[in-house]
Amino acid sequence: MKHLLYRVRQLLSLAVLCCVSALANADAIKLGLSVDQLFESRVGVLNAIKSEAQKQGFEIIEVVADGDPQAQNSQIQSLVTQKVDAILVCAVDQNTIERALLGAKRKGIPIVAFDRALPDSRAVDAFVGPDSITDGYLAGQYTAQQLAQIDGNIQVLELLGALNDQNGIDRSKGFNDAIAELPNVEVIAMPTDWDSARALAATQNAFQANPDIKAVFAATDTHIPSVETVLYDIAKLHPVGSDQHVVVTGVNGSNDGYQATLRGNADGIVVMDLHTTGVTAVQLAAALINGESVELNNVIPGNFYTTSNIEANKANIWGAQ
Amino acid sequence: MSLKHRLSAVNWLPIAAATLVACILLSLLSSSFMSYTNLQSVLVQASVTAIMAIGMTFIIVTAGIDISVGAILFFTSSLFAKLMMDTGSYTLAFACALLCATVLGALNGVLIIKYKITPLITTLATYTMYRGMAIHLTGAQNIPVPREMGFLGNGKLLSIPVPILLLAVVLAVGLYLFNATRFGLYARAIGNSAQSARESNLPVNKVTVFAYALGGITTGIAALILLARVGGLQSGIGIGIEFTVIAAVVLGGTKLSGGDGTIVGSVIGAIFLVLIDNGLNLMNASPYVYDIVKGSVLLIAVVIDKVSVTRQQQHLLNQRAARIRATG
Repeated sequence: MKHLLYRVRQLLSLAVLCCVSALANADAIKLGLSVDQLFESRVGVLNAIKSEAQKQGFEIIEVVADGDPQAQNSQIQSLVTQKVDAILVCAVDQNTIERALLGAKRKGIPIVAFDRALPDSRAVDAFVGPDSITDGYLAGQYTAQQLAQIDGNIQVLELLGALNDQNGIDRSKGFNDAIAELPNVEVIAMPTDWDSARALAATQNAFQANPDIKAVFAATDTHIPSVETVLYDIAKLHPVGSDQHVVVTGVNGSNDGYQATLRGNADGIVVMDLHTTGVTAVQLAAALINGESVELNNVIPGNFYTTSNIEANKANIWGAQ
Repeated sequence: MSLKHRLSAVNWLPIAAATLVACILLSLLSSSFMSYTNLQSVLVQASVTAIMAIGMTFIIVTAGIDISVGAILFFTSSLFAKLMMDTGSYTLAFACALLCATVLGALNGVLIIKYKITPLITTLATYTMYRGMAIHLTGAQNIPVPREMGFLGNGKLLSIPVPILLLAVVLAVGLYLFNATRFGLYARAIGNSAQSARESNLPVNKVTVFAYALGGITTGIAALILLARVGGLQSGIGIGIEFTVIAAVVLGGTKLSGGDGTIVGSVIGAIFLVLIDNGLNLMNASPYVYDIVKGSVLLIAVVIDKVSVTRQQQHLLNQRAARIRATG
């Protein structure tokens, strides 16, 4: 009997604890975090979002679609039914999730898109992400400067990202705008779909057909090790400063790009500011929840680091931490 | 039997002919196509898909399918990279990665046999599970592998690239298992009719699990080559490769319905798929036409295959009808 009473008391205490914690959680602001898929740079932004949310006392409900737009659609609907106070979304595909986002909008839930802009969305209240056009432009500008002294036709290999990815499209646009300043430049664009194995094959094939390629631009610097492999195989891997050096640049800020630049095989990388992106996303959500008005487009340009200053700026490169 | 009929029985002949035609066309369109270096790099590029396609052939021949191979590739690469980073021991990393790949492949077979769920659904579930395991293991981080490992992907032995040598070894073992062992014979029998195979007391369960385990180990070998070639682990590694592998096997002449297949055809199928990319790259084609060309070529190849199968079946029916008429 004594034992039974003890058990009942334990159960009651547990129930009271649950109620208290539920009430406490009911007061906390809940942010729904809908992520396209997990990879290194995305995890970097997510860490910044979580850390800022924790600082502000917000609760995060995170869902990952693993690249499946239909799954992301359902996950956003589920965030709405969980009565989140705002949704932070990095979309797999804008069109597929638009209805779910509009559903959230109708319930008065503010929506902040991060990293991938949703320019045609009627539901998004704010966007924060990289200034991909400027990022590509910085790499293109540097490449153009390095090749300015070369006479005649100049061939440049561009390893594209996914053709339906706005960041990839914008990086390409920025790079091409800058490189067009060179007279007689021919950009050989190869699709990679962000896949390093495809980047490797494309680089091999491109150099096979065009042995005089003078520069390579990688839409993501995670492809730079593949470029190094090919250049090594064809005896064209000469460090920055050498006469036979092939100019190599990329955008992202991963450890792959950092190490290649440090070795002098790559000239430089444009590093995205993932921390600021994550922090700003949470701050925008907080402002929208409080009814404040915010800027629709909040772009954060990256910084271009070359072999001469990359080591000194290691602290600013997310992949090198 | 006439030469024509003997040739029509060789199921990898259509893809070999298509590859030959593609080679002739590409050599006319691009002067650098027929160079020794380019042909060598085509084989190196095809090695990963071709090795996986050899394993997949055994699975498809049993009337199965494994769409989790991309995830097995991702997990194996992750495990190898993680072990190399944590322990620095090649022996441990190689052994664990290959063992794990085999076990994950075999697990698919066990689940299919034990719970009698269709291979497509089973391996769809394990695809998600294995991918999740890989992301959990690495925290979705990129992990570089030591430079010396590059030998496996970019090194040479007796002037032959290591991936080509590994492909040759896997091809030889695959051919032996497929054509010269009871396992190969039983695998085809199961694919023709699992029910009849059971009634004939064939070890259906063991053969099925072994076929999936073979799929696993070939994926493990391919994963290590890919990792060495790319220079490190990236969380996108292996995404969508299962469809390329299945396409290579089907293009090669193996029937998705099982019972009939060809190891040589699967390897040629993988080479054919790489040729399309290689050709488009060499011609500096617009990035927007790649998928259109690849899709169209695949469609044409599948239609030709279907037509040739229908003709073959029609020919057999005609022969049977002629025999019946003769005896009647």
